[in-house]
Amino acid sequence: MVKNITIFTRNTCAYCGMVKKYLGVKGHTYEEVNIDQHPERQVEAFKLSGAMTVPVTVITKHDDSMEVVIGYNLAKLAPAVA
Amino acid sequence: MEPRPIILYGADWCADCHRARDILDAHKVAYAYEDTDNPDVHQRMMAASGGKDEIPVLVRGSEMIQNPSSVALMEWLGVEHAAEKIKHDVVVVGGGPAGLTAAMYMTREDIDTLIFERGVVGGLIATTDMVDNYPGFPDGIPGLTLAENMRKQAERFGAQIELGEVMKITDEGEYRRLETTSGDILARAVLVATGSGYKKIGVPGEEEYYARGVHYCATCDGAFYKGKRLVVVGGGNSGVQEALFLVRFASHIDLLVRSDLKASEVLRHKLEQAVQAGKITVHLQTTTDEIVGENNAVVKVVGTDKTTDKKVEFSTDGVFVFVGLQPNNDFLKASDIALDAIGFVTTNDHLQTSMKGVFAAGDIRSGATMQVATATGEGATAALTIREFLEGKLESANDIHAPQQG
Repeated sequence: MVKNITIFTRNTCAYCGMVKKYLGVKGHTYEEVNIDQHPERQVEAFKLSGAMTVPVTVITKHDDSMEVVIGYNLAKLAPAVA
Repeated sequence: MEPRPIILYGADWCADCHRARDILDAHKVAYAYEDTDNPDVHQRMMAASGGKDEIPVLVRGSEMIQNPSSVALMEWLGVEHAAEKIKHDVVVVGGGPAGLTAAMYMTREDIDTLIFERGVVGGLIATTDMVDNYPGFPDGIPGLTLAENMRKQAERFGAQIELGEVMKITDEGEYRRLETTSGDILARAVLVATGSGYKKIGVPGEEEYYARGVHYCATCDGAFYKGKRLVVVGGGNSGVQEALFLVRFASHIDLLVRSDLKASEVLRHKLEQAVQAGKITVHLQTTTDEIVGENNAVVKVVGTDKTTDKKVEFSTDGVFVFVGLQPNNDFLKASDIALDAIGFVTTNDHLQTSMKGVFAAGDIRSGATMQVATATGEGATAALTIREFLEGKLESANDIHAPQQG
């Protein structure tokens, strides 16, 4: 079960919109961290994902285990939030 | 008697395994999941499957089924095909400019239309910084804005967009059956508008450093390189346009071009200005041979200067790749639809493919010119042709065949 979801995004990133749209369709709420507006949090996204890309979606489960999905990857995102 | 337990052998990276699990979950069928990335589990899976290395494998007592289609799996489970009830007049595969335009035309005429999109609604243009050559926008328009506008316009007339993937199309007479990540769907007509995606170069280091120094989307990842050195690979319109976009972040860009610049005159002019300003250095006749990293980060690109046949090296923090387009045709290879030698869908003048009731438009079509304006045009043409087909006024195509290989 999903406890909370954080998405790291940027203004110009089309795939970020798709993650938000998908989570919306599935009825999930999420916190969005726009790195263009909060450049100080870029390091956090990098530490979590090891990737220089957005979107990075961080799903925290009820047992506090964490799953990080890099990019808009339905094969990973769908089961992670199911 | 208690039903025998089901074991599903699969892996997290395997899309068919997720599809199988989704079906089991949707029908509330209990099962034990075994991850074949564990070598012991893999060995058990191979024993169960009789030595065939393909997942998912489902085992129930002495029965075994390996990577079944959605329908075959539901039959094996003995559950009702709920998806059988899902019928549409038209399913559009791919929500880029061609698919969205076709959907807009069809829904406007009350033809029930469902769009399937596995990636970004709007397609490749959604990830493009600026679209300069789409009529009606004298100053150009950001690709993401154009894509969003097309989506809104299609949805205004009632087009539904499903976020998921189509795996296979089969002709079943009156209907076409689409195997999708949301189960099976039946459609009287199908429009294939899956477009094209950026090619990979296929060199050492490219896969290894994907998203950690190797990128294919400048609008997504460019901002991570503020004040850093970059290499951009590709001298076509995309390569030059994206290099010009990346200039706003990077301290310097080396543009590697395998042969000569093929970008349009306007882009070449803008490139010349960036070269004069010392922001970009263009290296013509230069191949990209390897992407080299240290401590988990890209540090240089090794190439060959074809004029001297000598190795050349470019120190860099990241590489953006734009070396052309390839058809998004994975699922078409699994369907009985004729493709040309490169993998684009063969059509006749009515945009009909070799399968009855299946049409194609946009970048995926053999002979397409890879422009937004032509994709929307073909989408409109396809919509009008599909309407004729639904009204029984269009004969099926029997003149489309895969070209002879060799």
